[in-house]
Amino acid sequence: MQAQTANRSIDYRALIQPDKVEGSLYTSSEIFNDELEQIWYKTWVFVGHTSEIPKAGDYISRNIGLQPVIMLRDKTGAINVFSNRCAHRGTKLCNQVSGNVRAIVCPYHGWAYDLSGRLVEAPHGGEYSAEFMASKGLAKLPRMGEYRGFIFASLAEDGPTLDEHLGRSKAFIDRFVELSPEQEIELTAGWVRHKYQANWKMLYENDTDGYHPEFTHASFLQAIDTQVVDYVGKKDMLTEPVIKDWGDGHTELEFGTGYRHSGNPFEWFGRASPSKFPNYVAAMDEKYGAELSLQKMIDGPPHAIIFPNLFIAELSVVIFEPVSADQSVQWHCPAFFKGAPEVNRRMIRQAEGALGPGGFLVADDQIVAERNQQGLMARSPQWLDISRGMGTEIPDVENEGVVIGEMVSELTNRAFWEKYKSLMDVETTTNSQGTAE
Amino acid sequence: MTEVSKLQGQDCLLENGLSNDEERALTNFILLEAQYADESHYEEWEAMWSSAPDATYWVPRGPHALDPEKHVSLIFDNRARLATRIRQLKTGYRFAQIPVSPMRRVVSNIVMRRSSNEDAEGADVYEVESNFVLVEIAVQSTNNQNIWAGRTLHRIRREDGQLKLHSKRVLLVNGDEPIASIAFLL
Repeated sequence: MQAQTANRSIDYRALIQPDKVEGSLYTSSEIFNDELEQIWYKTWVFVGHTSEIPKAGDYISRNIGLQPVIMLRDKTGAINVFSNRCAHRGTKLCNQVSGNVRAIVCPYHGWAYDLSGRLVEAPHGGEYSAEFMASKGLAKLPRMGEYRGFIFASLAEDGPTLDEHLGRSKAFIDRFVELSPEQEIELTAGWVRHKYQANWKMLYENDTDGYHPEFTHASFLQAIDTQVVDYVGKKDMLTEPVIKDWGDGHTELEFGTGYRHSGNPFEWFGRASPSKFPNYVAAMDEKYGAELSLQKMIDGPPHAIIFPNLFIAELSVVIFEPVSADQSVQWHCPAFFKGAPEVNRRMIRQAEGALGPGGFLVADDQIVAERNQQGLMARSPQWLDISRGMGTEIPDVENEGVVIGEMVSELTNRAFWEKYKSLMDVETTTNSQGTAE
Repeated sequence: MTEVSKLQGQDCLLENGLSNDEERALTNFILLEAQYADESHYEEWEAMWSSAPDATYWVPRGPHALDPEKHVSLIFDNRARLATRIRQLKTGYRFAQIPVSPMRRVVSNIVMRRSSNEDAEGADVYEVESNFVLVEIAVQSTNNQNIWAGRTLHRIRREDGQLKLHSKRVLLVNGDEPIASIAFLL
């Protein structure tokens, strides 16, 4: 067992203060390695969605931190998450992003695993005992859990349960899946992967930052007639979009306050007329009753992040993948609302318009993140300021324990860093090795 | 039939039924389009496009043309969205292209054919396939030199006597990998 500990020479309490954070947090390789141990290999991390692997033998391969894993459905329909590594000599087994297999066979010496991860064949295996064979299955991750189709895993044996980790953020997933008349979303449209030469925390922080859109996205706001124009740079916390700290590092840029004030359904869907989706509206009305259905169609989907890597980006699901201190990948997949095929095409087109390397919004975010990364190589000034809006927060009367800040506040940055510090600032660290033995 | 005849577009290499004038005009068309894109001459580039609402600038995700009704693409612009893309580039605030990427592409391996496009109403419609290798410098942030490569399908038709681009599909070799900004014109 390879016990890893955080680097004791780094004083995270000094680097992370309520109103400012130190630049090296984004640039230091030592800190990145600490993050792998203290965050990525310890806490719950979003891996994938059940709809991505509907049939026996379907798999997806992802990374948790830098560790390759596969999420695989077996013949009984059960889902497991394994290390993507042959138990024999370490070969990476599945090199495609997704696929379907009848068995997993290592290309090195032909070791073959069934869909539940058991080693079923090792060529010239007469030398191996039954006990040995039984002990050489695929390494299952210590913990796996599901919430309404979203599969999370943890590389730590112990720690908070998934339910405790998600905490109030389950409300994001609830709000999202309940926009489907069958209360299920499907991630079958494929993933675009957008490469950033920037630290992963910039992806997280930017995606619930309500202060930057007027500037980073000025070209979008000028060139495009969209509802977003009316929802940026706002300061009224009761009638306009706000940002929210949901606790435990989960944050939101809540457009719903603005949408509710407008009273129109589908503000979030490019202000589409409900007459474009008669079957969807009918199915929603059928499921929830007219009043609640209308409310859901006014409120729209969340724009919110579940710490550390799952961003429900209104109509898409986004994953943050850390690669190194100065490299990350932002994944996105437009969601489909099950039972509402007539909205699917629009979900795809809206995702393409906003996200990814060719999107009207996020291509600019990438460039700014990369410029941040380079600027931070300058060691002076020492600090990044996140003080904006401190002391102006108000409690969310609808959600106990949730704190609201005006859209252009930096409440969500502070919420992220508070959680980050709680994980990184440890006197003694626990074992965080990544295999079940 | 020889092995090579199974290649897509092979029939066009052997016998495409196009006159020399047509071939020259189509070749010049895609080379000019490539040069306008390389040099970020947005207005000239856009002027080569048909104004038909169903004109499409499409960059599928991955090296294959996945059904855009079911799969997310990197870019899938109809004519209105393509106009928006150009408008955004011209605002002076499209940071992903400020300054514009220095670029040069080589266009080669061209095959072409007359298309039997349903809505053509007797007008000339052509399909031109070509490979490209594009060197781009990401001068907006990293200054990385990016090598982009792929195969392009141009659908070109004659409108009021002029050749117009009705659709452009770009299959990127690395479209299913993590990639940086493609806010420039592919």
